[in-house]
Formats: sequence, structure tokens, C-alpha cells
Amino acid sequence: MQDGKPEGEIILNKSYFRLAAGLGGAVLLCTAASAFAQAAVWVGQIKVSRGIVVLERGGQKLPGMVGVRLKENDVILTEANGSAGLMFNDNSTLSLGPNAEVVLERYAYDSTTYLGAFDAFVKRGAVSIEAGNLANAQPEAVRVKTPQAELKGQARSFAVNVEGK
Amino acid sequence: MMSDRHAAKQLKTLASLFLALGLAACAGPRETYVVLPDAGGQAGALTVTPKAGKPLQLSGAYANAQGGAEGAQAGKLSEQEIKAAFAEAMSARPEAPQRFTLYFLEGRDELTADSKKEMDKVLAEVRRRPAPDVIVVGHTDRVGSLADNDRLALRRAERLRSDLLKQGLPGDSVQAAGRGEREPLVATADEVAEPRNRRVEMLVR
Repeated sequence: MQDGKPEGEIILNKSYFRLAAGLGGAVLLCTAASAFAQAAVWVGQIKVSRGIVVLERGGQKLPGMVGVRLKENDVILTEANGSAGLMFNDNSTLSLGPNAEVVLERYAYDSTTYLGAFDAFVKRGAVSIEAGNLANAQPEAVRVKTPQAELKGQARSFAVNVEGK
Repeated sequence: MMSDRHAAKQLKTLASLFLALGLAACAGPRETYVVLPDAGGQAGALTVTPKAGKPLQLSGAYANAQGGAEGAQAGKLSEQEIKAAFAEAMSARPEAPQRFTLYFLEGRDELTADSKKEMDKVLAEVRRRPAPDVIVVGHTDRVGSLADNDRLALRRAERLRSDLLKQGLPGDSVQAAGRGEREPLVATADEVAEPRNRRVEMLVR
């Protein structure tokens, strides 16, 4: 030993460093996770909007114009003359025909690992879905719920129609 | 004289009639579930799990089912009927993203002469789209350390990001990330100079 310290102390020091490195890593992870959460406030964007399209967010109604960014828990509604096309961060798309209502219940996506989850609730109307990178990592990561059923699977592209009341 | 058994039978019939009527009345909205072919023409399987009744497996393009409060059962819709029912929803689908790959000079964040021209195509595609957003991911070859290449890859992506912002794209519409030498287009041994790996991939959406 160059510095003449007993081996035991060195081992102790080593394990101390390992612990410190572990803690540091955990802190870094937390910081990275919160930075990611901040960066990922927007989950998607309205790319197509025809006729009257409404975005409901926190009880407020906003015009659902082309370019409008989407958040988790947003509700998209189309009137009798409306249709809309949404694109999400993982390249998944969801499009709505007239008289439709869809709640973006959950959207989480890690652009490095492609892991996450997308849950949409189709309350009424004709809606078509194309799963993006989320389904590359986990085929069942994109799920659709309706008033009467839940849909998931290997299919990248599918559609649901819920007759309105 | 009517036997007890006969009366019970009549009651049972009446009850099931009421039950059927009641179910029909409270069946609620009808639902249709359909598997569609994806962009590559492939169609996978979809599991429909109704709140009542058994789950149903739909396999292949245009496989479909109908559902309601009583459960779900296989449907008999034809491809034409499905295309008609979902015509407006399907015509509102966002356009598929377009991918561009631009190449860089060795060890630098400057585009090759050819890729400078390719950048004009990227800008044209951005201008063509009504609400464009761009994902920019930088890569390097395997010359140099992992850490240096992480920095170089991000610098390449950031350089193109700032070029896009100069063209008027809002900051939150362009995401830049670096992957260093982790995702080579062409697999090589470490420390091998490979021009095809010195690149940025751009996804215009």
C-alpha cells in the first residue's frame, strides 16, 4: 500500500464511495425524472382540424385549432361538421369523425426507451387509432376504453365507433 | 284447473320476456370495434374486453365486432361498410412523419456540401405542413471517447435546431437530442471513421 493505510480501511472507504455514488446516482435520477416531467407537459398536437373542434381543459372550452398543443386529461370534441387529427410525441395518432368526444386519460412516453402508456377514452363517435413508438416497446401500451369495453393488442391500427345518445 | 307447475312456467316466460325487453331498452349505445391494416398493410390482433361477457379476439384486417351493455360479439361488416363508417375519422388522420438524414464533416458540427442541399428539402417540408414540429437526433461515428461523442452528437443536433428556429419555428416545436456513437447506421469496430454514422436524423411531423 503506497500510503501505508491498512487494507481494511481502504475496503471501508471503497464501500463508502460506492454508497455515496449510489446516493448521488439516485439524486441525479430524480433530477432527470423531474426535468423530463417538465419537458413532457405537452403530449401531442392537433395536426388536422376541420369544422368545429373544441378542446376542453380543466373545465374550460378552447377552440381546437391546428397547432394547439395537448395535455394529459384534455378532452377533444367535434361538432356535427367537425373532424380532427391528433399526433402524439411517440408518433401515435388518433383521429375523430363528427360528433365525437375523446378523453386523453393518460399519456406517458420516454423518447429514449420508448416505454410508456397511452389510454384514451372514446365516449362517443367514430375514432381511428394508429400506435407509434410506444407499441414498438410494448405492443399493448396503447389502449382505448369505451363506455362498454376496453381494447388493446398487437394491432397497430384500429378503430372504434360509439353511437351517440 | 291450472296446475302450480303450469302457473310457474307462465310466470317464468313472462319474466324472461320482461327481462329481454328491459335489456333491449337499457342496452345503451351500440359500439363497433375494427382492426385496420397499418401503413405497411399489416394487421395485428385486437382484444376487446367488454364490461359484460367474454373477451373477444379480432384478428386480421377489417375483423370487427359489435358491443353493448350485454357484451360483444363478432360482427359481419364488410371492408366497404367499415371504410364508409370511418371515412371522416380516417380522412382526418395526421400525415405520416417524414424522415431526413443529414451528414456531417468529421469531428465537426458542419454539414457536408450534399447535406446542406438536403437541409433545403427539410425546410420545404416544414413549410408545407400546417403545424410542423421536428425531432432532431444527433449521432457520431466511433472515433473518440463516448463522452466526447455524446457532446458532439448533441452539438450537431443543436446546430440544426438553431437553423430551424432561425427559419421561424417556435422553440417548443423543435426537440434536439444526442445519441453519441450508440446507434450507428453502419456497425463498425471502435475508433473506425465512418462518414455514414456522422449524421443527424430529423423527423418532420
